[in-house]
Amino acid sequence: MGLVTTLPRNETGIETVVGVLKQQLGERLQTSEAIRTQHGHTTTWLENQAPDAVAFVQSTEEVADIVKVCATHKVPIIAFGTGSSLEGHVNAAAGGISIDLSQMNGILDVHPEDLDCVVQPGVTRKALNEYLRDTGLFFPIDPGADASLGGMAATRASGTNAVRYGTMKDNILSLKAVMPDGSIIQTGQRAKKSSAGYDLTRLLIGSEGTLGIITELTLKLHGIPEAMSSATCSFPDLESACNAVIMTIQMGIPVARIELLDALQVKAVNGFSKLSLPEEPLLLLEFHGSEASVAEQSESFGDIADEFGGTGFSWTTSSEERTKLWQARHDAYWASLSLRPGAVGISTDVCVPISRLAECVATTQAKLEELGIMAPIVGHVGDGNFHTLLLIDMEDENEVAAAHEFVSWLNELAISMEGTCTGEHGIGQGKRRYLEKEIGAGVDVIKAIKTAIDPDNIMNPGKII
Amino acid sequence: MLTPKDEQELSEAVLGASDPLRIIGGGTRGVGPGAPNLSTRELTGVTLYEPGALTLVAKSGTPLAEINEHLASEGQMLAFEPSDFRPLLRTEGEPTIGGIVAANESGPRRLAVGACRDFLLGVRFVDGSGNVVKNGGRVMKNVTGYDLVKLLCGSHGTLGILSEVSLKVLPRPETSASLMIYGPTVDEAVGLMARAMGSPYEVTGAAYSSQDMAGHPVVFLRLEGSETQVTGRLSKLRNLLEPFVPTGENYAISELTDVDAVQQQWVSLRDLDEEAGTYRDVWRLSVKPSDAPAICAALPEPNYQLDWAGGRIWAFTEPGTDLRNIIGQFDGHATLIKSASNLPRFHPEPAPLANLSAGLRNQFDPRGILNSGLMG
Repeated sequence: MGLVTTLPRNETGIETVVGVLKQQLGERLQTSEAIRTQHGHTTTWLENQAPDAVAFVQSTEEVADIVKVCATHKVPIIAFGTGSSLEGHVNAAAGGISIDLSQMNGILDVHPEDLDCVVQPGVTRKALNEYLRDTGLFFPIDPGADASLGGMAATRASGTNAVRYGTMKDNILSLKAVMPDGSIIQTGQRAKKSSAGYDLTRLLIGSEGTLGIITELTLKLHGIPEAMSSATCSFPDLESACNAVIMTIQMGIPVARIELLDALQVKAVNGFSKLSLPEEPLLLLEFHGSEASVAEQSESFGDIADEFGGTGFSWTTSSEERTKLWQARHDAYWASLSLRPGAVGISTDVCVPISRLAECVATTQAKLEELGIMAPIVGHVGDGNFHTLLLIDMEDENEVAAAHEFVSWLNELAISMEGTCTGEHGIGQGKRRYLEKEIGAGVDVIKAIKTAIDPDNIMNPGKII
Repeated sequence: MLTPKDEQELSEAVLGASDPLRIIGGGTRGVGPGAPNLSTRELTGVTLYEPGALTLVAKSGTPLAEINEHLASEGQMLAFEPSDFRPLLRTEGEPTIGGIVAANESGPRRLAVGACRDFLLGVRFVDGSGNVVKNGGRVMKNVTGYDLVKLLCGSHGTLGILSEVSLKVLPRPETSASLMIYGPTVDEAVGLMARAMGSPYEVTGAAYSSQDMAGHPVVFLRLEGSETQVTGRLSKLRNLLEPFVPTGENYAISELTDVDAVQQQWVSLRDLDEEAGTYRDVWRLSVKPSDAPAICAALPEPNYQLDWAGGRIWAFTEPGTDLRNIIGQFDGHATLIKSASNLPRFHPEPAPLANLSAGLRNQFDPRGILNSGLMG
């Protein structure tokens, strides 16, 4: 499809490293085709590039040992969490060793008094919250998949809570990582402002495994709010919905989540999750705080919605109803696929200044119509970020071509609106060609940093740049 | 003093520089050894302000006061509450937004809403070779490659000279109030602040002074929001903490609800007072809140102030006392904000990190002319 590049392979080096690691790791180095394929890219239309072997690691020191062997022989290393990334981040473009961190899934320490915890990278976000339940604390970042925290850090993941709690970059205090020469670094301590020098923690966050392998994370935790309420409201058109969002945020209502579903997405969700929401643009919100404050926030939003022609506004603090609504939102991907059985879903990820959001979404819908593509839209509209899920019959060349055209068109539209081609999925392989368009000379700086830290380009080659 | 008026002139100034550049914004924070020879103070102006999108873009030399004025006219603010070091350092001039970003300077509200860098959406800067680079932009989030925005924030002019910054701003709260608890020891204070921060009452400031003007230790807790909200939460917070305040004639709880007085109180907690300015060495320690009592007990002077529920310690010493020897056994680091001695301003990094930092500096500034030596 032109998005995945194959890079030259170091056959001799790979063969040597696989031999050495087989001896070191025994059964924990796997070379079967099934396991290798599973550790290449599997989630979207990008083609799978399997690694030559998969190492199931158990400690930071073991990762360091493997990296040293790979560094000696200049063999690529690709870190693997749960494989839920969407832009080919785990593909082995030049072959090499996939380091599967899923067995490093220990929660090492929880410090309720300092509102932080120390975890290994293989812990998934749901496992952490399950573990924290009795402490009254939680970790708020919730991408669609039950991703590993190491992977979420490496891709700077976010989710529906970003309006109030930020993204991974805002919720990591420090990292332990193995660098390309096998050295182990700790980027800071548990102190709140943890870095004495440059912010190396945030340089690693979002580096997509191209600078080092994260082997331990110190995360910021939040108190579970005393009360939560969810609200829904329908709007006659997208513009009114977006304007209500802008007003809500401008008024300083500390909304935790604010999600937009277009009419087609509402139809999909109704069918899949047995709801009966009006098939019009819908805002789905959540408020966190004390009993009184969530009531006040919900009602203030109701007033704003009313001003912008919102109808059917309702809010609830019932945990059962809230869960049902948010489960439906989280299942939007599956609901969308059910609109067209057999189709493959291709997700876009643009983010624009919120003042351009209504215009961007409306232009997008018109373009989809022109190209005859069925694609429901959901958006984390509080951040100006939205996803269209193109439902494409991969057997139909014309459709695939139209999908390519659309994705390019949308990314460039967002960039022209001073936005970005990716708000949360990352560059990986799929979006490399938009990077230069978006950040210009910044690409040279990224290359310079990459060269300074990983001169032999063994850390996840072929990603970002 | 070079004072470029636009990005082009800034780039030319860097390209044409044969000697090291000692770069400042308004020069109010005392950047360290050597006389400043380049200031960004003429790169001024708010280039974009969209209150509805909570976004403000300004040239780096724009005075903080000008930005605050713009924001106030729309009922908004820089939520990270940057401090003004002029009273403490007895400096003159105008704090600039570029200087604040270069220093990642955040005040009391940081513990509730995040640091300066968390509100920084994008930067434009000139690197050590004179190249103009931009990263990030106006959107609330992006994942396009390495986060140069965060790397530049807090780099004190050693990786590049900021020419423009793009910030997320927030609505100004309708009102605010403080709960003061008089009498607690530092141990008790850190416990009370942790309890307050763990409560659902949305505390946006948690500070402690070992001696107020009358010589008493005091915990300060701030609440912000709408009028009805703040009143309700203030009494709930008081009810929550009261059982944990020891009884005794030295202990008392009181409330401050006059919004101007509350604001004044937190400005002085943020900037420290004139009296702090009489000390010759002023340190700022970043530590784990739970370690704060043990660290404070080891300080040479009994006068200190905590912010961020104990995560930040302001300590005052006579010249020559190296607090890094005290903090050494704890997690954290110490920055020398004001000094009459020649100890390094920044806490030395462990060797592997120092090597990485040096490698980065070498890429951004191969000639080593940007505030060289300041950060290692």
